[in-house]
Amino acid sequence: MKWATRRGVHVDRAACAWLIRRSIDPKAEFVFVDDPSEVPADATAFDIRGAELGHHHGDCSFETILRRYDLDDPALWDVARIVHEADLDDERYDAPEAPGLDVICRGLSMVHDDAEVVAIAGAVFDGLYEHRRRALLLGREPA
Amino acid sequence: MCNRGFSYFEGMAARLKWVFLLYRLPRNPSTPRIALWRSLRRLGVFQLADGLVALPLDARTKEQLEWLAEEVSEAGGEASIWVTEAGSAVQERVLAARMAEAAAAEYRAVRAAALAAGSAGGAGRRRTLRRLRRDLRAIRARDYFPPPEAAEARRAVEALAEAMEATA
Repeated sequence: MKWATRRGVHVDRAACAWLIRRSIDPKAEFVFVDDPSEVPADATAFDIRGAELGHHHGDCSFETILRRYDLDDPALWDVARIVHEADLDDERYDAPEAPGLDVICRGLSMVHDDAEVVAIAGAVFDGLYEHRRRALLLGREPA
Repeated sequence: MCNRGFSYFEGMAARLKWVFLLYRLPRNPSTPRIALWRSLRRLGVFQLADGLVALPLDARTKEQLEWLAEEVSEAGGEASIWVTEAGSAVQERVLAARMAEAAAAEYRAVRAAALAAGSAGGAGRRRTLRRLRRDLRAIRARDYFPPPEAAEARRAVEALAEAMEATA
């Protein structure tokens, strides 16, 4: 399936792309556009103005996708807490990891194009997810 | 108003672009209004008029205001985004200077709190330090025209940290 989002991928879009490939469509193909009007007809838009899979009711797009596809893995929701604060910084959640993740994604987008950012950030989110999964299993921070 | 020391105000060549959010939200319910107000404050917008706020244009500020526009629409209001520039350099400098002054006031409050905690001493200093560092980060994120007070506030907070190291 084709998925479209805005050019200049940052933390929310990188996290969404990772989530889409991981939990919804392993063969996802991503298209990056400048304007909502450029979204191809056969693509599902995310994190773009006017899209169903965007910011809604104070949620970032990553949270919207989790809700829309009924993904209730608590480790994914723990990643969502961090992505939300890295993207919106509205103090809805306590996420001390967020400023670091925000800086990493910003820096990546300075030295890589969007497809590369999605690929590299995918590995970052794999690690973040595993860390949070183990933390939830152990009930403490993993070593 | 004294503009010396504002890096923006030295050797200004190109005119800046600005992004405006024009919005109208129903008076009731008040929850969306309060949520919007909080978001706008966090972004450090300049309120030009009732229902019209401005930020200097970059990819991030435009995106953040676009999401807020969408939230306004979802809450039953009307919102639009405009990219524009000031009609004159003087007009632009006035706006930038006002935004710098708003940030400067926030930095002065942080500096005063750091100095007060330093002279008071005591066990609450560590918590105060943590809060002031967080406040500094938040102010810096919405400080588009850094005033000299930014460096002064940072120095005062770090002096507090050093004083605590020395007495630890």
